[in-house]
Amino acid sequence: MNFSQFIFRRTLMVIPLLVGVVFLTFMLVRVGGLDPVGLLAGPTATAEEFDMIREELGLDQPLWKQFLIYAGNVVQGDLGESWLSNRPVLEDISARSLISLELLFWGIGLGTIIGVPLGLRAAFNPNGRFDQATRIMSLLGFSIPTYWLGLVMLFVFFYLLRWAPPGMGRISLMVSPPDFVTGSYLIDSLLSANWQAAHSALTHLILPVVCLAIVSAAPIIKQTRAIALEVIASDSVRYARACGLKTKTVRDIVFRNSATPIITFVGTEITGLVGTMSLIEYVFAWGGLGQYGLNAIVRGDFTAVQGYVLTLALFSVLVFLVVDIIIAIIEPRSELN
Amino acid sequence: MSAVSSVKAPLSTRFGNRLRGVSRLSPTATAGVIIILLFGVLALFSDLFMTHDPISSYPERILQSPSAEHWFGTDGNGMDIFSRVIYGAKFGFGIAIPAVIISVLIGVPVGLIAGYRGGLLDEVLMRIFDGLRVFPSIILALAVVAATGQSLLNVVLVLGFLDSPVFARLVRAEVLALRSSIFVESAVAAGNPTWRILFLHLLPNSIQGAMAQTAVRAAWAVRISATLAFLGVGIQAPTPEWGAMIRQGAEFMVTGQWWVAIFPGIALIFLVFGLNLFGDGIQDILDPRRRVSK
Amino acid sequence: MSLLSVSDLQTHFIFHDIDNQLREARALNKVNLTLDAGQILGIVGETGAGKSLTAQSICGLLRPPARIVGGSVLFDGQELLSLPEDELNAIRGADIAMVVQNPRSSLDPLTRIGEQLVRIHQTHSGGPLDISRQKAMEMMQAVGIPDPEGRFTAWPHELSGGMAQRVLIAMALMNEPKLLIADEPTTGLDVTVQAQILDLLKELVARFDMASMIITHDLGIVAHYCDQVAVMFAGEIIEQGTVRDVFLKPAHPYTQQLLAATPERLDLGSENQLGGQPPDLFNLPPGCLSQDRCPRATDICRTDPPMVQVAGGHTARCHFAKPASKSASKSAKPRRSKQNG
Repeated sequence: MNFSQFIFRRTLMVIPLLVGVVFLTFMLVRVGGLDPVGLLAGPTATAEEFDMIREELGLDQPLWKQFLIYAGNVVQGDLGESWLSNRPVLEDISARSLISLELLFWGIGLGTIIGVPLGLRAAFNPNGRFDQATRIMSLLGFSIPTYWLGLVMLFVFFYLLRWAPPGMGRISLMVSPPDFVTGSYLIDSLLSANWQAAHSALTHLILPVVCLAIVSAAPIIKQTRAIALEVIASDSVRYARACGLKTKTVRDIVFRNSATPIITFVGTEITGLVGTMSLIEYVFAWGGLGQYGLNAIVRGDFTAVQGYVLTLALFSVLVFLVVDIIIAIIEPRSELN
Repeated sequence: MSAVSSVKAPLSTRFGNRLRGVSRLSPTATAGVIIILLFGVLALFSDLFMTHDPISSYPERILQSPSAEHWFGTDGNGMDIFSRVIYGAKFGFGIAIPAVIISVLIGVPVGLIAGYRGGLLDEVLMRIFDGLRVFPSIILALAVVAATGQSLLNVVLVLGFLDSPVFARLVRAEVLALRSSIFVESAVAAGNPTWRILFLHLLPNSIQGAMAQTAVRAAWAVRISATLAFLGVGIQAPTPEWGAMIRQGAEFMVTGQWWVAIFPGIALIFLVFGLNLFGDGIQDILDPRRRVSK
Repeated sequence: MSLLSVSDLQTHFIFHDIDNQLREARALNKVNLTLDAGQILGIVGETGAGKSLTAQSICGLLRPPARIVGGSVLFDGQELLSLPEDELNAIRGADIAMVVQNPRSSLDPLTRIGEQLVRIHQTHSGGPLDISRQKAMEMMQAVGIPDPEGRFTAWPHELSGGMAQRVLIAMALMNEPKLLIADEPTTGLDVTVQAQILDLLKELVARFDMASMIITHDLGIVAHYCDQVAVMFAGEIIEQGTVRDVFLKPAHPYTQQLLAATPERLDLGSENQLGGQPPDLFNLPPGCLSQDRCPRATDICRTDPPMVQVAGGHTARCHFAKPASKSASKSAKPRRSKQNG
């Protein structure tokens, strides 16, 4: 089958998942006993005002009706209004999505670049010293709380060494941000040759990105090692050795045959890492979607939470889809080729 | 050159040999157990180790750096951090153990039934689990706890509930593999009622993988509960829980009073690390494929 | 001097179990073989008898916990067991080539087959790429792959089992090996294809004057395609000789049982024809390893049986095997107890 047919079919398969996601998000926020009406109305509201707000929020309708209304709204792009910011949730979210994407991209990218080679090298000498050391490091990475790591890095690099700027935002308050092209302060300032802004953006990026990279590298190292070990034990690698192929060639074979499962794994990891990223944004006041969402949850901003969770879930589904497509392209055994 | 002698060594020697065998096979598991036991002792016998009362404040000694009197210093309320860190071990275990038990109690039966019965029930359950996978677990836990009310009990319940799919999936996979095996078929043919088959025949054989995961899931529970407390959800100050203590100490990190947030963090890292070491080591021992012997 | 001369090869499984006890099993015990150019040796036995392990020990492809603990492997005058890994690697795929089971999963799934042929040639023989490509085409033709030009860019998963095995044979031949080891080359293939592959192997071995070792659990294959045979049980060669001698006049009770069971195609890979568990290598009986199955076993079998020369080039490891004598009558039936052992 050709490419567009393939994309079409894959996208079609994703739709039930999307419906399920909308449903789960809907249910999620209605699960608890928290009364959004109470929050909005405040302590001095009268019974009438309560009812008014309830009606306005549509909470007086039966549950299934509420869902249909909600689903309908979502499809039209109406995610409700945040009572904290008094702006449409969709607006809040779209303004911040690119900001988070920048952090996510650099962080996971760096984590993968560090993690995959380490995992591979550990697999080539299993139970050797390097392997043991890497395993400890990886387990440690699983154990360090991200927010704590961020705080420690701020302490060391900002307070002690004065290398990093204060952990606030993406660019120094004294510097005016560049014009909008991609949404990334770093890239946009480079594009407009605004070196001061670029420098500021870069120094603000480093700590959160390294933080995310360290935390994302841990599972990547572990899984890469496991995948590579399986590949090394496979028939094709054993045969390659029987053929007397050079070590470098065999390692190359191992790497290429590990690529697909590794990519799949990183794709599934992104879901969890989005949550971690939100915590990092919170600590560094990054101003992205993560910080917005966490604040919304903690302060009980009902509609914003709904929109935030939905966006994250949709993003995950998109990532799965993209990973599927990438693999179908590079794998000679896929139905595409 | 060939096998062991037929005379059995005394029990203590055999036990000692088993210990040595296990630690040779997996030093990580051994190290993990030691760390967990250490914290367990701290949690159970915290009175013996605390130097001060964990919730008494000394208003004149706010934000003192570590000293002979206060080994880990004092926090913004003048409370002794060392004692609070020791006391916090109680929360680590107090949350993780019930949460994992709940996950197992929910997940294992669900996995058994879904794997054995199959059909619509299985399909629906698996779809729901797959659907949940697209939500970051931290956010999910956070949202649900925030929505259901902020109490310790809620945290335990929510974490226990949210982690059960892991166990359900593991058990289900084993059951699917065993379902068509001879001994299950003969049990069915012998007329055993379903519940007997499930619990007497299938359960003991499918639970191994799930049990190996308990330490890792416990590590996750400790982590997440601390994260929730850090965000101010579920547990609040002045409770001496590590996550809440880090929250308190966050603002002081950039003003130089590093001890307020660092020590609880180190304790948290240690316990989670120990649980992860143990879980990783156990998997090494149980799964021969992972075991790459010298 | 023989091309391949294996003397007293000893391979053990050594590891510590969960009770910290050192466990050691004799996976190969005093294996002796010789092979010359143009000869086809069949190594036959049940699953777990040590056939593949012998090949792996010769080529240095053992994985832990298996380890060679003694003996010598002389190939073309060189002692393989004392060679460093990189020199051994240079011999593998060149002078000693292997054809394995599961051809479809053994080929690198991410490289086209033509490229893989070129790759193995480049690794060992170097030279310009065109020469390698040309040779690859020649070999593909030699092994009977139709349309070599077209198939050159095929992916392994596009091939059938038989076709993939032909590719493996072509790979083995690219560097003109002196010794070809085929480890269960037809197991898992279609019955009709099996004969084709074996015929091909036999023809190529003759054409290129190679020494060849075929490892199999199928006595029929040995009978049809091999000159020499070595019967293995529990890590030992219990009988060895020409196919004629061993199959027509088996001297070891185990061999006799194998052949008596079904005169034609006897496949040891299917349910154990002799009824009995495969021997536990960690709990071997003292003395003769097959005594638990032997109808003739007596007390003397609890001591190590000698390797008896039953005829010129025909040996058997059994107390009751009659050494070569001037007696004219040699029957296939076991001797009565009146004869001296």
